[in-house]
Amino acid sequence: MRTRPESNRQRWAIAAVAAAVLALSLVLRSAYYELVLTQVLLWAVMSLGWNILCGYGGYFSFGHAVFWGLGAYTVALAMIYLNLSPWVSIPFCAVVGAVAGAIIGFPTFRLKGHYFALAMLAYPLAMLPIFQWLGFQELALPMKRETAALYMQFEDPRVYVVLALGLMVVALSISLWVENSRFGMALTAIKQNEPAAEAAGIDTWRWKMLALMLSGAIAAVAGGLYAVVLLVLTPDTVFGMLVSAQALILALFGGVGSLWGPIIGAMVLVPLAEGLNAELGNVLPGIQGVVYGVAIIVIILCAPEGVYWRVLDRLNRNKKPEPRATVAAAPVVALLQPRGTAGGDLLVLRGIGISFGGLRALDQIDLAVPPGGLYGIIGPNGAGKTTLFNVINGFLAPGNGTAEFAGEKITGLRPNRICRRGIGRTFQVVRAFARMSVLENVIVGAYVGAPDDTAARNMALAALDRVGLSVRADAIAGGLTTRELRLMELARALAPNPRLVLLDETLAGLGHEDLDGILGVIRQIRTDGTTVLIIEHTMQAMVNLVDHFTVLDHGRLIAEGKPNDVVRDQRVIEAYLGKKWVERVAATAN
Amino acid sequence: MTHHSVTRRSVTAGIATAIGALAAPAIVRAQAKTIKIASIAPLSGPWARQGQLLKMGTDMAMEDINAAGGIKSLGGAKIEVIAADAGDSTEKAKNAAQRLLSDQPELVGGTGAWLSSFTLAVTEVTERASLPWLTLSYSDAITNRGFKFVFQTSPTADWQAKETVPTALKLAEAATHKTPKTVGIIMDNTAAPVSFSKPLREGGLEKMGLKLTVDQIFTPPLSDATPLIEKVRSAKPDFLLLLTSAMPDCKLVLEKLDEFKLAHGKVPLVGNGAPFGSPELLSTIGPELLEGLLFSVANWPTKGQEEFIERFKKRTGEPFLTQDGLCGYGDVAILAAALEAAGAADRIKVAEAIRKMNLTTGPAAQCFPGPIKFDGKGRRVDVPMIFAQWQKGVPISVFPADLALGKAVWPSV
Repeated sequence: MRTRPESNRQRWAIAAVAAAVLALSLVLRSAYYELVLTQVLLWAVMSLGWNILCGYGGYFSFGHAVFWGLGAYTVALAMIYLNLSPWVSIPFCAVVGAVAGAIIGFPTFRLKGHYFALAMLAYPLAMLPIFQWLGFQELALPMKRETAALYMQFEDPRVYVVLALGLMVVALSISLWVENSRFGMALTAIKQNEPAAEAAGIDTWRWKMLALMLSGAIAAVAGGLYAVVLLVLTPDTVFGMLVSAQALILALFGGVGSLWGPIIGAMVLVPLAEGLNAELGNVLPGIQGVVYGVAIIVIILCAPEGVYWRVLDRLNRNKKPEPRATVAAAPVVALLQPRGTAGGDLLVLRGIGISFGGLRALDQIDLAVPPGGLYGIIGPNGAGKTTLFNVINGFLAPGNGTAEFAGEKITGLRPNRICRRGIGRTFQVVRAFARMSVLENVIVGAYVGAPDDTAARNMALAALDRVGLSVRADAIAGGLTTRELRLMELARALAPNPRLVLLDETLAGLGHEDLDGILGVIRQIRTDGTTVLIIEHTMQAMVNLVDHFTVLDHGRLIAEGKPNDVVRDQRVIEAYLGKKWVERVAATAN
Repeated sequence: MTHHSVTRRSVTAGIATAIGALAAPAIVRAQAKTIKIASIAPLSGPWARQGQLLKMGTDMAMEDINAAGGIKSLGGAKIEVIAADAGDSTEKAKNAAQRLLSDQPELVGGTGAWLSSFTLAVTEVTERASLPWLTLSYSDAITNRGFKFVFQTSPTADWQAKETVPTALKLAEAATHKTPKTVGIIMDNTAAPVSFSKPLREGGLEKMGLKLTVDQIFTPPLSDATPLIEKVRSAKPDFLLLLTSAMPDCKLVLEKLDEFKLAHGKVPLVGNGAPFGSPELLSTIGPELLEGLLFSVANWPTKGQEEFIERFKKRTGEPFLTQDGLCGYGDVAILAAALEAAGAADRIKVAEAIRKMNLTTGPAAQCFPGPIKFDGKGRRVDVPMIFAQWQKGVPISVFPADLALGKAVWPSV
């Protein structure tokens, strides 16, 4: 969580930039430069809109022109056919953009990564023929000679600078709010590891939709004002590939996922392109595009993540990280009392089965975990242990059977809903939010159980304390050791005080000394009242840890019972070591 | 280039490097005796070729006028045409106009910007600056906005759509003494052909006593013209309206007609618009397939321009003169005539002179069919529909007869 002084500083920075732009517009004594400045600001707003979904949320879009164009056409059509002033229609563009975002997001968020980016490309391209077919291939906003100001038509070009600047300040403030709220944290988590975010209780679908709607609304409002400035619209001008590309290039250039990236991009590239057009367009036509392209390539090569991040890294290189003094003093919330279900097991699986094509990954699994238990699931590689966890926490829907938690059916629920019911989990391969700090990683997990951001922070600090990772709270997750990563993930799962945690091979890859520490932490978790279900394939450590073993092999439950009994079970030995060993063990016993 | 366009350049170079340089004021010094006229055309991007042709015309007009002693009523003042690139988008076109107006406050008029959406955007700027603006773009929207400083030298698109088929019928009658009874349409579904053919389908053809026997619409790009041409072969219309907007599609149709032995005028072909007479069409399709293709067009070289056409060809190396070069030349000539009449390098007075203008002789009038006379909307009045026809690898004007450089060939059906 960013601290308040940081966000106050950003607010001052926004005010300073706004004042500088205002001063600049007063100094410029040319309608042309005022027009270029207006365009700089409008493209900055467009790029800020793009940045909300794509920068913070990591869902790249090649099709933001669809929002820009819809906004522009809303303003033009409202004025031409309804005689509606842009003063009314531009705010309405926000609604148009948000609704378009919802309609687009619904089918498109089924896709991820490049597929999402490419699918987004289709929407503006689909608009081109539609608007042509509707007969809107050339629209001119009617000139109002009498009531010009009522229709946002001004002689003084500086008015447009002020309007666009106002929009940019609003867009920056929205971005700042997003960055510093649960919204931004959720988007960052989604960007860095969507399954982990979902398992940590973040409703990824909802946040992504909100991000796209907000992003679309901002882009549409910018497009609406663009129509007023340009006065003439063609489908190609507002829905064309270049519009989508512009939004993306500006943010990439300036710094993706940062507040100032889109502003830097717009302030450098828009005047650069226009200057090149003006300078070279009538001397060596076409060369301006080449120079522009080369400039972008050079800068991307020198600063792959954008100018902003490059400069920030440079500045931070000389600074030593300050040790966090507050962590130890932070209040630890002790909310943990054993919570039992009214007589009965906490988790009950009945006849769970799932197939992947011809492979029966799980077959007729029955399992009952009582509250307060520390249960282990063991089995050789490929036995179906992780699959079972994925079924319990909702990543996979079982083909048959049901899962009940605290007396309620949870099969069919999405992972974030199951997390809300009180089931946390860790992963076999740690899914960290690599660019976030340890504390932030844990806060993401805490949101589910926290009424507000402060509570989430306190719960995260408490969880870090429980696993003994408080000293590393400020470290960036990407730089942790395996043991620390395991502990951080454990803290993330524990932060919202779940009733049950699923630990997926938490002990894997750890040395002896590390192992002892973690075993202690796990025991303490159970002592604190959280039921634990743990997967391992190394039996030795588990025998001393758990009070009940369930053994899986080839998707079937082959043995169950007290650890010491289970390890002597012939079927278990056979599953792990083969038939030969069964005979040898029998011989030694005799 | 003059000293002072160098100044502008150094100023705009400033913006390229930093926004801070935007603060630098445009230093513009008035230069005595030179009158500035703007020419905005796409010099880069997909329409660069047409913009270049337009610029050839404006440059040549500037040299001719200055060589003939400049503007006499202004003491022989020379004119200077300042070209700006409209690029590939309306935004760039508008920026170009705004830049010219800011950098060159003493502009008295201008011409451009070839593509009608560019012209719409450019004139939003020039109208607000009361700068008289001439254009060859023929979208009706340009002069439907109630603007007072925009003058359209081409007849509008709607008018061309209305006049093309009746004029084609007249041509056919004159050549064959028979009136065509049936017509076919092959077109793509892009904006221009759709709006061109709409009134024809909605009763227009019927009124002219024509029956639509083939009506084929395709989505470009066309992959195979066979099914279209099979329809033409079986219906055998008296002539065929060919409304394609992309050259490869046009080529496919013509090749297929040839393959079906319907080319070379067996089925007379009629198109609309200057692209049907472009040198690129000739180099892509070749003179054999184009032979006999007729097209209606806003402006095309006509009688009395023979010497001018030769000079243009020699000067530019182009195979023939087209609408773009001709209109570029003509627009500058109109502005020069208006300056001459106004006797002042003043926008408002130049615009007033254009509104009052009624020229039937002189260099400006020679560049356009019909008189140079504008109505209240800024459209020319009494303009005849021009037809040109590909004959031996050159598109030459064939209608109206008194202006035509050649005779229309309409094969008897």
